[in-house]
Amino acid sequence: MGRLISAEYLKLRTVRAPWLLLAAGPLLVLAGISGLIISGNDPRDPGQQAQALAHVGLTAIFALAFGIVAVAGEYRHKTITDTYLSTPHRGRVIGAKLIVYAVCGTLAAAVSAAVGLAVAAAWWADKGAPFAWGNSSMWTTIGGGIAWNAAFAALGVGLGALIRNLVAAIAVALAWIALVEGIVGQLIGNLARWLPFSAGQALGQGAKVMLSGRLLPRSGGGAVLVAYAVVFAAAAVATSIRRDVS
Amino acid sequence: MKTLMNDSITVEGLTKRYGAVTAVSDLSFEARPGTVTAFLGPNGAGKTTTLRMLLGLVTPTAGRALIGGRRYADLDSPRRMVGTVLEATGFHPGRRGQDHLRVLARAGGIPAPRVEEVLDRVGLTDAATRRVRGYSLGMRQRLGLAAALLGDPRVLVLDEPGNGLDPAAMASLRDTLRSLAAEGRTILMSSHVLSEVAQTVDRVVIIAGGTVRYSGALAELTRAGDEARGQTLEAAFLRLTSGAATVVSGAASARA
Repeated sequence: MGRLISAEYLKLRTVRAPWLLLAAGPLLVLAGISGLIISGNDPRDPGQQAQALAHVGLTAIFALAFGIVAVAGEYRHKTITDTYLSTPHRGRVIGAKLIVYAVCGTLAAAVSAAVGLAVAAAWWADKGAPFAWGNSSMWTTIGGGIAWNAAFAALGVGLGALIRNLVAAIAVALAWIALVEGIVGQLIGNLARWLPFSAGQALGQGAKVMLSGRLLPRSGGGAVLVAYAVVFAAAAVATSIRRDVS
Repeated sequence: MKTLMNDSITVEGLTKRYGAVTAVSDLSFEARPGTVTAFLGPNGAGKTTTLRMLLGLVTPTAGRALIGGRRYADLDSPRRMVGTVLEATGFHPGRRGQDHLRVLARAGGIPAPRVEEVLDRVGLTDAATRRVRGYSLGMRQRLGLAAALLGDPRVLVLDEPGNGLDPAAMASLRDTLRSLAAEGRTILMSSHVLSEVAQTVDRVVIIAGGTVRYSGALAELTRAGDEARGQTLEAAFLRLTSGAATVVSGAASARA
């Protein structure tokens, strides 16, 4: 398994496109936090630090796309044939990808968090507000946001392995987040809290006050996301083992 | 002899159906160590499906395809046992040629220095650090051949390895295949270039409509003066692949 993980990481390292996807995270955090302050939110309000750093969790959308490329990208370029020729045990290939992509998603989110902290501290200083580095709700928000990224990267690997068509998989993921989950949520009322993007929001949320009632508690959101990632991965392994590669 | 037989390719009763369509029907043939076996047939005859079943990429509906007596998926170290060229398009366009091989070496448990050796062998050393999107069809084909040779395999399965090669590269491929066979390796190669095949191979398997039409020695098939068998490989091929299925088996095949 170590050899396989090392090979998957080498695959990632030798192309540029997936890294551009991850690089979008810190940019989104920079723009999001700046927008929060420029649009008139007062850094002196309690909870604003956590609110600012909640942008780290939102970068999970890029982690999801990054994960989708893991398998669906291999189908697109037909490198999946070589991958399965090197490792006929397809379940292990998907397992290695899950590990590598979740770890990379985690590290990318940690970079986004570092950028977010620097940007927020700079804005707070600019507005003459003290930046509380020991603010525990900010740190749990950051932790939750990083976990959301890891879970979405893993979810993406499973989704890409199930759908296999790269464009279709990305379209399905984005449509779900932008549109479908909201519509389905209205149909199922309170059960909407259990849907994947809502669970991610629960995990990476900033100010509980604003969203309470609509979301699961942070730990509950985390557990639900892990469950989704496991279900998708299991379905991906089960179907990949049987499918013809041609 | 026993060790040699361990490197044989054996296809037995191999069948693949997609719903009502039968792509490959009850196919049986063998490719032996020390020989180059051509795997011929018109477009849609089931060649690629057969090779993909042999390599565990496609699951047969019935029958089995074995390499050294084992299914591909059961080989201990498949990249070191079997080298493959399947499609010229199986590269990430943004990856450098040498990195493509480094990934395969890493995944296949092959020592990294082999990468430079095989790049040199196929004449791609100068292009090694270029991204594959800038490669010509012939260069991609040579990169594919380098990948096949990476694990110094006992068995080679090549789908149209000559596709897109210029005459010099084609001659070099022919020499490479001949010398690999002379080293006792088993080579199974599909091709449409019959004139090239006639210069390279020892044995021929011809399929059409998913069934075997001939399996045996090339010399047997093209034996001069035998009107029943035709004289050139092309004439024999065209006759065998048109019209009704009549299985012809070479005497050499029957002896096996």
